Amino acid sequence: MTWTLGMSRLLGQKRKQTDSKSPAESLTEQERILYNVIRNKQDMGIWTRDMKRETSLPDNVVNKSLKVLQAKNLIKEVVNIQNKGRKHYMATEFEPSKEITGGTWYVEGNLDTEFIQILKEQCTKQIYKLKVATLEGITDSIKRSGVLNVELTKQQIDEIVKALVLDNEIIELKSNGMGEFASIPVGKICYKCISKGSGGGEPKIGAMASIPCGVCPRIHQCTPDGIISPQTCVYYNKWLDF
Amino acid sequence: MVKTQYGIKYAVHLITNHFGNLVAKVCECLLRKGPLTLHNIVRYTELTQMQVKNSLLVLIQHNCVQAFRLADTGGSQSAPKQITQYIALFDNILHRMRFSKFLAIISQEFDTLCVGIVEGLLQHGRLTLRQIVERANSSQKEGNSVGMGAVQENLRKLVMARYVEHCPTAEPFLESPTEDDAPARKRGAKSSKMVIEPETLEQRVMEAARPMEAKRFSLEMDTELNEDGEKDQNKSPDKHVGDKRKRDASDPNVDSDTTEDQVVLWHANFEEFIRRLRHKACIENVRARMDDGAAIVLSAMLEASKTEEKKVRTASSVPLSVNSIYEEVIKSEKGRNMTFDHVRSALVQLSSPPPFVTVIDESYSIDFKHIIEVAQSEEVESIVLKRFGRDAYRMFRLLSKAGRLLETDKISDKIFVEKKETTKILYKLWQDDYLLMEKLVVGTATFLLWKVNKHVLWEHVLDEMFHAALNLSLRVAYELEQQKEIVNLPTDRREGPMKEKYEKLKKMRVLMESSQMKLDDAIMLFHDF
Ligand code: SF4
Repeated sequence: MTWTLGMSRLLGQKRKQTDSKSPAESLTEQERILYNVIRNKQDMGIWTRDMKRETSLPDNVVNKSLKVLQAKNLIKEVVNIQNKGRKHYMATEFEPSKEITGGTWYVEGNLDTEFIQILKEQCTKQIYKLKVATLEGITDSIKRSGVLNVELTKQQIDEIVKALVLDNEIIELKSNGMGEFASIPVGKICYKCISKGSGGGEPKIGAMASIPCGVCPRIHQCTPDGIISPQTCVYYNKWLDF
Repeated sequence: MVKTQYGIKYAVHLITNHFGNLVAKVCECLLRKGPLTLHNIVRYTELTQMQVKNSLLVLIQHNCVQAFRLADTGGSQSAPKQITQYIALFDNILHRMRFSKFLAIISQEFDTLCVGIVEGLLQHGRLTLRQIVERANSSQKEGNSVGMGAVQENLRKLVMARYVEHCPTAEPFLESPTEDDAPARKRGAKSSKMVIEPETLEQRVMEAARPMEAKRFSLEMDTELNEDGEKDQNKSPDKHVGDKRKRDASDPNVDSDTTEDQVVLWHANFEEFIRRLRHKACIENVRARMDDGAAIVLSAMLEASKTEEKKVRTASSVPLSVNSIYEEVIKSEKGRNMTFDHVRSALVQLSSPPPFVTVIDESYSIDFKHIIEVAQSEEVESIVLKRFGRDAYRMFRLLSKAGRLLETDKISDKIFVEKKETTKILYKLWQDDYLLMEKLVVGTATFLLWKVNKHVLWEHVLDEMFHAALNLSLRVAYELEQQKEIVNLPTDRREGPMKEKYEKLKKMRVLMESSQMKLDDAIMLFHDF
C-alpha cells in the first residue's frame, strides 16, 4: 500500500528517522573540514557552491567527500524551497528550517496540497456545524472531533480559514452581538459559510463572465473589421452552437 | 464614470443603428473632440452646414446633444460675445439601449395609457402635449378616442412620479470659461486629493440647462391646445435652432427662454429611471446574499426614503426609524404578512457587518455605496475566475481585500500555491492590466510586489464591457443578416429542416438578446450607479 504525504501526516505517522550513530572519527582531514562547515550551518544547511568557497577545497575533493559523509549518514541532502535546482546539504541531526522547507505546509520541497485540502474540508464542515464560529471555536471543534491525528496550532487553522475566505467558501464577519452572534463578544471576528441557497461556494457568474468576449484572451486584438472580429469569431460559433 | 474609448465606439454604433451614418458622424465628432461650435463641426466632419444642422436637430430632439452658450473672451478687449456650442450627452446615448427597461418600470406602476405616453416620448425624444394626445388617439381603434383630459391626467401622474419632465432649456448660458477651467480643476484635484469626482462639463451644461425644480415638474399644462397649430410650428426645433442662431448674432441679450414658455416640451426623465434601476439592483443584490425578508425590508426603506433622494448616486439614504420602516413594509403586498419582529430581525441581518444598512441611534439608513461596491467587486472577480482560473481568483481577492502592495512569496503562502506557479499567474494578470506590479531591489535580490488598483481597473473593466457590448451587438446583426431567409420565412413554410433552423435561430436570439440586457445591467453598475 502506498501512502501519500497527506495521508501519512493525518495518521500522525512519523517520517523515517535515519540512524545517526555512525562515528565521525574515521574522517580524513578534508572530510572533517567540510563536515564542520556543513554542521555549523545548523538547520539552514548549505549549498555546494558555498561549501567550495568557504572550504577552498577543489571541486573533486568536495564532491568525493560529500559522498563519503552521506554514506556515513553524517549529512543529508535537502530540498531548498528557495531554489530547488541547487544541491543543498545539512547535518543529519537537524531538521530543515522553515526558510528551507517552505514551512509547515511543505513536505520535501513540495506543497502538501492533499493535506491542505483535507484541512479545508474539515474546517468548512466545522464552521457549517457551528453556523457562526470564531477561530478558537473552529480549532476546538476540530480537536474534539478527533478526525485528525496531528496537532494543529491555532496559527495553522487561521491560515486555512483565511484561505477559505479567499475561496469564497466562507465569509469573515464582525460580531455585532445580536441574533446569531449573541454568544460572541461584539467586535470579535468570526466566520460563516456562504449560504448554499444563493449558489453558495460557487461564485455567481456575472454578466461579462457569461459571454464569450467577457473572458476572451484575444479581446485586445479584436476589432470590427480586423482579422479577429465578432463576425468571424470562433468563440461565438461555439457559444451559439445549439 | 468617464467615457472610455470603447464607450465612444459603442455609443457611435448605437447612434448609427438608430439614425444612420450622417448623424453618427456628427455625434462621433462631438464625443471625441468635446463641445464644438457649428462651424467647427462642419470643419472636422467635412459635411455641409445643412447636413450638420439637420444631424444636430435629430440629436437634440432625441436628447443626445445639448446646446449651450459660452462667453467668448478670446482676442479683443471688447465686450465678450456669446458663442453657441454643442455637446454630446454620452449617458443619454447609452440610455437608448435601456428603453425596454424603462418601459417595464412604467408598466409595473401605471396603466397602459401611461405606458403609451412614455413609449411615445422615448421613441420621439420630445413631444408637446398636443403631440402626445395625437399619438394616443392614433393608436386607438376608431371611435375609441382618448380625451384630452385623460391624457392630461395620466401625464400628470407621470410628472408627479418624476418619470416625465420639462425639456431642458435650449441654450443655457454657462458661467465660467470651461476650457481654461478644466485643467486647473484637475491640478487642484490632485494636489488636494479631492475625493469628490470633479463635475464633468457634460454635467455642468446639464445643470445649467435644467429648469428650476419647480418648473421642471410643473404641472401647469400649456395652452397650446386651445389655439391653432401655428405655435406648434414655432416650436419645431428646426426653426428654433435657426432662429436662435440669427438672434444670437444680432442681439446676444435676447433671453431665449421667453419664447419657450408658451409651449411645453416634455421628455422622459432618464435620471429617475436610472435611480429606479439602481434601487432594483440593490434589492436584487440583497436578495441574493440574504433572503426575501431582507429584500422586502430594503425595498420598503427605499420606498419610504425615495422622495428625499436628490441625485442618482446618493451614497446613503436618509435615516428611518423601525416604526416607519414597518409601516412601509406592510403597505406592500409581499410585506403584508411580515410581523414586526420579522422586520426587526431582517434589519439586524441587514446591519450585521459588513453592513448594507447602517444604524445610528436606532435609525436605519441604506449604505448604497457599499451595496454597489460589493456588486462591482463580484462582477470583476467572476471575470477573473473565468478568464484566469481559480488560483488567480484567490490571488485577486487577496490583493483586492488587502488594498496595498503584497510580495509574491506572501501571496503564495496565503493561497497555498507554489511560488513559481504564483509568479506565473500574477504575471498573466498583470499583462492583462488586472494588477499593478512594482519591482523592489534590495541588495542583489529583486522582489516583485503586486496590487489591485480599483480605480484604474474598474475603468478598464468598463471599457472591456463596452467593447463586449459592441461585439455582441455586431454579432447579433451579423447572425440576422446571415439567416435572413429563415427570419423572413412565412409561418406555413417553416417545416422539416427549415423548422429546425428557425428554432435554432430563435434560441440564438434569445440567448444573445438576454445577454445584451444583462451586460447593460453590468455597464450601468459601473457607469451610472
Ligand atoms: S468577438 Fe470573439 S474574438 Fe472578439 S473579443 Fe469577443 S470572443 Fe474575443
